[in-house]
Amino acid sequence: MILIGVVCLPLLTYGADRFVDLLYERDIVLPIPSGDYILRIVVQACLYMLLALGLNIVPGFTGLLDLGYVGFYLVGGYTAGLLMARLGWSYWIALPLAAIHGAIWGLLRGAPTLRLTGDYFAIVTFGFSELLFRVVKNEEWLIGGPNGFVNDIPPPTLFGYEIYKYWQQYYHILILLALTILVVYRLQNSRVGRAWAAIREDERAAESMGINLREYKSIAFAVSAAIGAVGGAFFAQFQVNISAGAFEFWESIFILCMIVLGGVGNIKGAIIGAGILASLGELLRIIPFGGARYLIFGIILILIMRFRPAGLLSMRQQN
Amino acid sequence: MSQFLEQIINGLVLGGIYALIAVGYTMVYGIIQLINFAHGEIFMFGAYFAFLCVTTFGLSFWFALPLSMSLCALMGMLIDFVAYRPLRNAPRLSALITAIGMSLVLQNLARLIWGARWRKFPAEATPALLTGNAISLPGGAQVSFLDIFIILLAVGLMIGLNRLIYLTKIGKAMRACAQNRVAANLMGIDTNRVITVTFAIGSALGAVAGVMVGLREVTEPAMGYYKGVAAFAAAVLGGIGNITGAMFGGVILGVAEALGAGYISSEYRLAIAYIIMILVIIFRPSGLLGKSTTTRA
Repeated sequence: MILIGVVCLPLLTYGADRFVDLLYERDIVLPIPSGDYILRIVVQACLYMLLALGLNIVPGFTGLLDLGYVGFYLVGGYTAGLLMARLGWSYWIALPLAAIHGAIWGLLRGAPTLRLTGDYFAIVTFGFSELLFRVVKNEEWLIGGPNGFVNDIPPPTLFGYEIYKYWQQYYHILILLALTILVVYRLQNSRVGRAWAAIREDERAAESMGINLREYKSIAFAVSAAIGAVGGAFFAQFQVNISAGAFEFWESIFILCMIVLGGVGNIKGAIIGAGILASLGELLRIIPFGGARYLIFGIILILIMRFRPAGLLSMRQQN
Repeated sequence: MSQFLEQIINGLVLGGIYALIAVGYTMVYGIIQLINFAHGEIFMFGAYFAFLCVTTFGLSFWFALPLSMSLCALMGMLIDFVAYRPLRNAPRLSALITAIGMSLVLQNLARLIWGARWRKFPAEATPALLTGNAISLPGGAQVSFLDIFIILLAVGLMIGLNRLIYLTKIGKAMRACAQNRVAANLMGIDTNRVITVTFAIGSALGAVAGVMVGLREVTEPAMGYYKGVAAFAAAVLGGIGNITGAMFGGVILGVAEALGAGYISSEYRLAIAYIIMILVIIFRPSGLLGKSTTTRA
């Protein structure tokens, strides 16, 4: 039932739009937002779900707090954006290249941090993403515009048709999201996933059981980063113009907040948490209280950690 | 040459400010192994408290400074009591995420109350003692009275803190808690009280730094984030948990930042702090003065 609803959503919004048009002709004005607006929010929510699933791999499966996830989102966004806008490459080539580029950065960041645990790992990831942000913001020769501004990223084409309408983008992100969910689920229930769980529960015990920490942690970093970069590539073509401002530290915290809300390490939780916070963020943008968005996210982080450390979905408290 | 001298002095002033903030991070970390992200925000509130005392309530600067210190000390204790104390025995990541949440709440609260716009400390409220240039160095570099005041104040407070830690009973209790909190508790030390006092002292020193930055630069909601990160890098550089290390780390980082901003690019001010922080964590996690310890789970 839900699945049919998800697949047919653009039809529903189209129908609602026509219905509102009919009423409008009869001078009845209903306070219903337009279908395109709703679709846009849903596309954004799906994008955040994808990012939350990607981030979830590192803190959720291997137990290392990643405060710089937006760094990979940035790498993916700029890889795809620059390849498409400046070199005119096709999106379908730029997307996998962005994923690979993201994975490379994931490994690069991972290599020196393999020995680190806890707070130190968190701090290095934070510094890493902030450095990338500053480079993109200030190096005009690299990006070709001030403040990391890349404009007029062309829409991807499929069989000669340009994909730019909201309903097209909706199916586009839906497919990417479905693939991500598949990958993450399969990984979690595989040999790799079990090794990650062992590392999360007790690193030293895992190592003495013969799990190669270096190898399995690197896999987690690379996969997580690649998913973030895919999200970035989608974001670049969806937004058409991107600038460094979209990749600030707070975006990492926003995504972290989603997986904390849903329960760190919980795949369903990450999806639901992203859905809730992405729509809540949009709702809070409408009311005049808009500046309070992050205030509310902060309160959510504190309350969840205090009363439900295993997330909203958990039935009982975890020790 | 005069530019070099000027940047060095600039760096020393900045270093004093960083040192004042960094001891707050390092003291809390030493005792409860928590990176108190909200500390930067307390520093920012310190600047705002003094600003409001002087502008809205028309108080004298010399009254506003201690008032802001006490308000921030109260705030630090309150944050510990409300947010961190219930999580004392929870996994460390929970407390870290709570600290990030607290930082978000406070920063955006400030933005909501006072707006995102920066404010300049009113010139007429700045004490006459702290205005104007004091010394002309050879080559034309100028040193203002305010800069000298900040350096002297930072050095004085650091010496005071040092005496407090090594000569008083509460200082002894703090050192005991830093070594082993459970054992300290068994020896009859009220660890919760020690932690509260630690938060109060760290926050009051952070408030001093906030007022100084407000006087010298501007007061804005984002200042806690920018200066807080750099001060945290200073604490890491000196060896987190080590108070003397935080002081030296602050000075080194301040000078490095001023020279980097002067000679490389002012856009990369913070990047210098990040790079130093990352390099220290990767190559010498115990910092310049810290003892190398085995990893704690």
